[in-house]
Amino acid sequence: MLFLTEILGAEVIDVRQRRAGTVRDVTVRVQEPYPVVTGLVTSRRGELVIPWSRVRSFAAATREVALRTSREEVEHYQADPRDVWLARDVLDKQVVDTDGRRVVRVNDLQLAESGGSMLLVGADIGLRGILRRLGIEGVGKSLARLFGRDLPMVLVSWDVVDPIAQGTAEGGAPPGDDAVRLRISGSRIAKLHPADIADIVEELGAKERRAVFDTLTEEVAADTLEEMELEDQVSVIEHMDAERASDILEEMPPDEVADILTELPEDRAQQILGLMEKEEAEDVQELLAYEEDTAGGLMTTEYVAVPDSLTAQETIETLRRMEPEAEQIYYVFVVDPEEHLQGVLSLRDLIVAPPEKPIRDIMIRNVVTVRVEDGQKEVAAVLSKYNLLAVPVVDQEYRLQGVVTVDDALDAVLPESVKRKLPRVF
Amino acid sequence: MDRLIGRLRRFRRIFILLAVIGPGLITTNAGNDAGAIATYSQAGAEFGFRMLWILVVITISLAVVNEMASRMGVVTGKGLADLIRERFGVRGTVFAMLMLLVANAVTTMAEFAGVAAALQLFGVPKYVTVPVVATLVWLLIVRGSYPVVEKVLLSIGVVYLAYIVSGINSHPDWGAVIKSTVLPQPVASLGYFLLAIGLIGTTIAPWMLFYLQSSVAEKGIPNEQLPYSRADAVAGAIFADLVAFFIIVAAAVAIHGTLSPDRLANMQAADYARALQPAVGPAAFVLFGIGLFGASLLSAGVVPLSTAYTVTEAFGWERGVGQRLAEAPVFFGIFTGLIAIGALAVLIPGVPLVQMILLSQEINGLILAAILIYMIVLVNDRRIMGRYVNGRLANVVSGATVVLLVGLIALFLFSAVPGSPLRG
Repeated sequence: MLFLTEILGAEVIDVRQRRAGTVRDVTVRVQEPYPVVTGLVTSRRGELVIPWSRVRSFAAATREVALRTSREEVEHYQADPRDVWLARDVLDKQVVDTDGRRVVRVNDLQLAESGGSMLLVGADIGLRGILRRLGIEGVGKSLARLFGRDLPMVLVSWDVVDPIAQGTAEGGAPPGDDAVRLRISGSRIAKLHPADIADIVEELGAKERRAVFDTLTEEVAADTLEEMELEDQVSVIEHMDAERASDILEEMPPDEVADILTELPEDRAQQILGLMEKEEAEDVQELLAYEEDTAGGLMTTEYVAVPDSLTAQETIETLRRMEPEAEQIYYVFVVDPEEHLQGVLSLRDLIVAPPEKPIRDIMIRNVVTVRVEDGQKEVAAVLSKYNLLAVPVVDQEYRLQGVVTVDDALDAVLPESVKRKLPRVF
Repeated sequence: MDRLIGRLRRFRRIFILLAVIGPGLITTNAGNDAGAIATYSQAGAEFGFRMLWILVVITISLAVVNEMASRMGVVTGKGLADLIRERFGVRGTVFAMLMLLVANAVTTMAEFAGVAAALQLFGVPKYVTVPVVATLVWLLIVRGSYPVVEKVLLSIGVVYLAYIVSGINSHPDWGAVIKSTVLPQPVASLGYFLLAIGLIGTTIAPWMLFYLQSSVAEKGIPNEQLPYSRADAVAGAIFADLVAFFIIVAAAVAIHGTLSPDRLANMQAADYARALQPAVGPAAFVLFGIGLFGASLLSAGVVPLSTAYTVTEAFGWERGVGQRLAEAPVFFGIFTGLIAIGALAVLIPGVPLVQMILLSQEINGLILAAILIYMIVLVNDRRIMGRYVNGRLANVVSGATVVLLVGLIALFLFSAVPGSPLRG
C-alpha cells in the first residue's frame, strides 16, 4: 500500500545515481473505475513532469524514486493539461462518499500497482491520514493500543467517491474545472436517493451546492429540493439560471413552489413564473393569493377529484390515466360539474366495490372539510381530531379548492426545534 | 396578482437587508463582549486619552480585515477554516486550529468571568452564577435554541449606547480628546504595550473573523453584491469602534487619575461601572451589570459553538447540533470542553476576574497576528480568489496591522526584560 503523502517530497534519482529533483505532485489521467498515474511533477512551478513509465521503483523506506533513464532525457516532457494533479486538486478537498452518503475531506490518497500501472484506488478520510501527515501515525497507534483500542484505517474506494466541483472565483464551473475533469461518467451523487442528496448538499457551501445541483436532472433536483428546508430551497433557486429554475419548479407541488417564490425578490419570482408552463404557473398564482398561515396557503392543488357520474370501474381507469403521486391518492374526492364537493372515497372502497356500481352509492357523503380562510392551527386540529391523512379545502360555495396533507399541516404548526427531534416519516 | 406583488415586495426589503447588510454589523456588535468592555474601560482608566490614536488605527484595520473575510466568504462560498485546510494542508491547519482553540478557550473564560463579575455587582456569588449559566448555555446549544436567544442577547448590546451619552455628559476636554485621537502619544511602558495588544486583540478578535466569513459563505451572496457586504464591513467597524471610543473617553474622565497604581492593576467591575454615572447617575451599576451580563452570556455560547464548527469543518468531521453525540463526538466535545474549561477557570477561588479578562484579550492579540498572516496569503492567492484578490490598500493596511502587532509584541518582550529602561 502506497500513500500519496509518502511519495510527495521524495528524492528522484536517475540511473546514474544523480539527483533529478523532488516529487512535488503526482498526475493522473481519469478513467473508470480507477484513475491511472501518469507522471511525477518535480519542479515548483510544475512545468517538469516525469512520465510514470520512466519510473522503475519507489522505495518508501529511503523515500527515493528510481528512474529507468538519465535525468537529461526526462527534462523534455511537458505537463498534459488534461491530467489531474492529486496534491493540488484533490488532497485536502471535500469529496462526497456516495457509499456512506456524507461529505468528507481527503486526508490522503491511496495508490496501488495493478497490471503494470499505478492506480488511484482510494481516499483516506480517517484520523490515521491526519496523523500520517503530521508524521505521528506510529505515536497515534501506540497511544490507541495503550487504551486497548485499534486505530482503524478509514478508506473509501475511489469508485464511490464523487468530487464536488469547486466553485471558482468567477462563479460557475468552466470546462477544465478540476472536479469535472475528475469524473467521466457523470455525477455519482445523482444516483443517490433525493433525501440523501439533500442531506449532502445541506453540508456544502453555497457555491458547491449550486455545482451539485447543476449535475442533477430536473426530476431529481425537484425531489431533492422538496427534502430541503425552505431557507435552503430559496438560496438554491435564487442563484440558479431562471430557465432551469422554472423547469425544476414545474416538477414540484404548486404549494411548495408558492412558498419558495414568496421568499424570492419580486422581479426574480415574476421572471421564473413567466417561464413556467402556463398551467403550472396558474396553479401557483392561485395559491400565492392566500395568506400563508391559512388553509388556502397550506393547501396543494394537486389532488384527485372525479365526477360523481362515474362507476367504480371507470374511476379506477381514470386514476390509472392520471398516474397521481403517492401523497395525492390518500383520498379520491367526488365533485359535481360545478366542482362542488359531493363525497369522498378511499382506494379500498373503490377496489372492493362491484365494478358497475356508481360511486355516488359508495362514497361517504358527510365529508370533513375546512374553509380556505381557516387558520393553520384549526386545520391541524381537524386533521388530528378525525385522524385524517388529508383534509379537503372548500370555498364559501362549497367548491373544492385544494387539499391540506397532514405533513404540510404539521410543518406549519410545529416549532423548528421539535421538528428536528421527530423521526422523519414523511 | 397585486396581492402577490405586495407580499413579494414586503419580503424583498427584509431579505436584501438581512442577507447582505447584516453579518458584519451583527458580528462586530457581538464583539463588544466582556473582553471588549473591560479592555476599553481599562485603557481609559489607566492611560486617559493616550490610547485613542490606536483605536483609530484599529478601526481602519478592522474595516479592512472584516472586508477581506467577507469577500473571501462571498467569492469562495467557503469558511476560513476550509480555505486554510485546502491551501495549507494538514500541518498548517493543525497549527491554525491549535491557535484558535487557545484563543477561544481564553475568550470563553473571559465571557464566564464577565458573567460572574456582572452578577457579583448584584451580590450573587460566582459559585452560584457560573455553574448555572454554564449549564444553561450548554443546554441551549444542545437543544438548538441558541439562535433565538442570540437575538434577544444581541439587543441587550443597545445599553452600551449609554456610553455615548456618558462620554458627552462627562464634558471631557474635547481639544485634548481630538489631539490624542489624531496624534500618537504612546507611553513607553510594559503595561501600555500589553494593553495595546489587548485592544487590537479584542476589537479584531480571531473568532469573529472565522464566524463572519462562515456566515457570509452560508448566505450564498453573489459576487455582484460585493459592494453591499463591503459597506456592511465598514459600517460595522465604525459603529463598533464609535462605542469603544466613548467607553475610553468616559472611563478616562471618570476614573483616570483618581486611583492609585496599585488599584489600577487590580480593577473591579464596580470601578468600571463609574464611567456610566454621567449618563444615568446611581443606576450606572445596574446598567453596567445588565450590559456586561448580556454581552458575556451571548459570547459564552457563540464562541464555543463557532469553535466546534470551525475545527470540525477543517478536518471534515461530522458536525451540527442536529447530530447524535455518537455521530459527532469531536463537535460535541469541543464546545462542551470549552464551556467546562471556561467555567472551571473562573471558579478557582480568589482568581482576579477582571485581570483574567484583560489577559485573555492580550492572548487574542498575539494569536491574531498569526491568523492575519494566513488570511493575507489566502486572499492574495489567484487560484482561490480569481480577480477578487486584495488590492494594494487592503494589503498595506492588513500588513501594517501585522507589523504593528509584531512591533508591540517585541516592545513588550523588550520591556519585560529585567533591567530594561521601559520596565515599570
